[in-house]
Amino acid sequence: MSVKNWLKERFPIDYAKFIEINENIFMKEPIPNHLKKWYYCTGATPLILLALQIVTGILLTFYFMPSPEMAYESVRHITQDVRLGFWVRGLHRWGSNLMIIALLLHMTRVFFTASYQKPREINWMIGVILFFLTLTFSFTGYALTYNQLSYWATTVGTNMFDAVPVIGHSILVFMRGGEEVTANTLTRFFTFHVGMLPPLIILFLAMHIIILRIHGVSEPEGYEKGYYSFYPHHFYKIIIITLFVLCVLSTLTIIYPPGLGTPADPTVTPTHIKPEWYFFPTYRFLKLVPLNIGIIVSGLFVVGMIFWPFIEPMLSKNKSTRTKIAWVVGAMVIILTVGLSVWETVVA
Amino acid sequence: MDTVKAQQWLIGIFSTLLIVILIIVASVEMKKSASEKPYVEIDKKSAQCITCHEKQNIAVKQVEAWKESKHAVMGIGCTECHAAEEGDFDAFKCPQSDVLVASHPTPKDCAECHDQEVEEFENSKHAHQFWLFANADRSIFENPISARHGCEQCHQISNVWPDGSVGECDACHPKHSFSIEVARQPETCGECHIGPDHPHIEIYNESKHGNIFAARGKDWDMNYNTTNNEPIPIEAPVCVTCHMDGNETQPMTHDVSARLAFESQAPWSFRTVWDEENLGTWEEKRGRMEAICASCHSPNFYKIYLLTADLVNLQYNEMRRMFVYWTKKLTKDGKISQIKVGDKTYSNPVINGWDEKPEELMYYAWHHEGRRFRHGAMMMGADYTQWHGIWELQEDMVEMITWAAEHGDAEAQKWVDSNHPSKFAPYALYDIPGSAWGIPTRTNTTPFLYNNYPDYWERIYANVEEAYKNNLLSKDQWELWLERYENRDHYLGTKYKDNEAVKELFDMYQKRNAIDKKAFNEQAVKLDLPGKPFYKK
Repeated sequence: MSVKNWLKERFPIDYAKFIEINENIFMKEPIPNHLKKWYYCTGATPLILLALQIVTGILLTFYFMPSPEMAYESVRHITQDVRLGFWVRGLHRWGSNLMIIALLLHMTRVFFTASYQKPREINWMIGVILFFLTLTFSFTGYALTYNQLSYWATTVGTNMFDAVPVIGHSILVFMRGGEEVTANTLTRFFTFHVGMLPPLIILFLAMHIIILRIHGVSEPEGYEKGYYSFYPHHFYKIIIITLFVLCVLSTLTIIYPPGLGTPADPTVTPTHIKPEWYFFPTYRFLKLVPLNIGIIVSGLFVVGMIFWPFIEPMLSKNKSTRTKIAWVVGAMVIILTVGLSVWETVVA
Repeated sequence: MDTVKAQQWLIGIFSTLLIVILIIVASVEMKKSASEKPYVEIDKKSAQCITCHEKQNIAVKQVEAWKESKHAVMGIGCTECHAAEEGDFDAFKCPQSDVLVASHPTPKDCAECHDQEVEEFENSKHAHQFWLFANADRSIFENPISARHGCEQCHQISNVWPDGSVGECDACHPKHSFSIEVARQPETCGECHIGPDHPHIEIYNESKHGNIFAARGKDWDMNYNTTNNEPIPIEAPVCVTCHMDGNETQPMTHDVSARLAFESQAPWSFRTVWDEENLGTWEEKRGRMEAICASCHSPNFYKIYLLTADLVNLQYNEMRRMFVYWTKKLTKDGKISQIKVGDKTYSNPVINGWDEKPEELMYYAWHHEGRRFRHGAMMMGADYTQWHGIWELQEDMVEMITWAAEHGDAEAQKWVDSNHPSKFAPYALYDIPGSAWGIPTRTNTTPFLYNNYPDYWERIYANVEEAYKNNLLSKDQWELWLERYENRDHYLGTKYKDNEAVKELFDMYQKRNAIDKKAFNEQAVKLDLPGKPFYKK
């Protein structure tokens, strides 16, 4: 008996139907012509990077121990002793950085092509949630290295919640597992990072992709109508992007491997405390304005970002004017993001 | 430009901008994360000093050292330590800025933040000016300029400053990194604790502790924190591990006297009474040291080891008694004399003398050989107890008595004329059955005194008991000694000397020894070269 028949007996499903569904959903998925342009493919890169993060993350958990006594030591062990440990750790760390950059690129493309417009508003909102989930992923992951920089970054990071009115302090205590950053914080962050956030991000990602597939990829105006099959053209395009991303990641890991720093010392507060670079715009902004105003403005920004697809139509009845205003808003946000990031990097 | 083109341009420009700039930002931050150098934020005042120092190339390396210090990381800049007020002994106007600067920050300045450390230091013998109190004027023998870069350099550690503070923190914590790692290096202690009078670094280097440090120390992180009652993180101790660092039971201290039970550097060994109101009795101090030993050793080992070392210290006193007896007698008989002007003497026959052989021998027997003998025993430096210790002490004694005989002393002449082996022990003895290292089987079968004086151990018993009664040994130590005394056949190994296995092994080595002896006789002793010497008798 052939393997195929053996399997058919155990899984007596309608194979013809299965192949048909597979062909319809994946192989022959109609891809609009404009996706032949590379910069329209940025949605795939965060997905590729997420897959890499899962693989490298699992490898790291083989050695990582989330306790104040062992966290730093186990990261040191991974980096210095374990075979290719520095590479896997580097891919994971750089992967998180590139994932944020990739998401920003994807959002830039979606924003300027106005793909968030009706009927895709929900998907934009889910996308924004995915972006914040990614930031939470990075924040909790960075804390796990438990060196002096990450310890104090965690302290100031969680401190920011304290400024949130009414529920802020409760959130802080929940995040830290107490008033201070202690062993409880480390185990909590580890649980968030490897237990809670992965299923959450996969859930939202599934919704994001399902909604995308239901509506089909949005088609910007001005392109010649027409479609081609997912396989082979687009499939190989994604493979090429994956290989390219791996090369970039690996190169960055080799040139700028993540360091170990000095072990966290809760008794010694450094004068200079900084979060990871992707929080620089917020961090620099909070330094520039009074904390309460900073928190309120940041909160409004997040709300504005989430509900942008509903805000934009209110800006003007004239479609062309609306587009121009949106472009100006988008351009300003990007310039501010880049400008504040550079500022915080240069002064420190 | 149509909308599609504009869109493409916007996406293209901003995507490129985000990729390029953010990857650069991420790379810069990643590079910082890998940097060993801590991040330092330099305040405006310090920046002014640093810029000028760099421009004028004055002590630039010190600035670099400061940048890597914990001070720099904590935001402690130049003026925090170098602040001065008008009239301060070390105040000087910086010519470039008109700022008043303190050129010599003293322990008083350090105490602004490190008050506990400074107080502990002040209470330690590191801060004691013992060398100024008794027969201070060495300059009659060692001219003053020599003292500048000689004794004064090390004894700066107990300098009394015009501001009323004492000591020199950077004697161990080098300016301007004030590195704990450097302070912990045995070589730091060895800057002063070296040489013929107290070769502590040499003793350490030849000890098992030093040996392990030499082999593995390069991989140890010596920056560890020792204030949290945590286990000692290194495999073998360096000097400060035992004398200063904390462990699970002992707090870290800058009072190096807190754990020392004997004044074994003094002309006579005596149980320390230093700062008893704060530190307690010598037994409490020994208890602290033992608590550190206990990190790595069992009490079975370190209690016997330290008891034996204590008995070496007491034995030294009995030898010292000989030197004092002879120098006093020779002085009284007018065979040697003190240096003096009018009634003021500049030498002391029992501490130092500068120009006569017995005084010199007495001095060495205390200040050099006597210390090496005792400190070698305390810190596992066998060679220093043996060849640089007892051997040279005995040589000094023989030379001194011979000198007295040559200068007409009848008692000394009688000693010189004696052929009896006991002449080399003209003083009372201490001993302990066996050692901390294990049970020997033949070692204790040979000593003349063991074999010819049936009351040997009774005499020793009486001496050790007397030491105990005089609080020179603790009750615990006396009981430990008694247990060994009562079971001395076991500890001396004499009980096992005729065991079949021991005899067989010993016979085998005796046979090998005979072969060796035959060989050296044939190859060396009996060799008669045919070419005659050139000197005619």
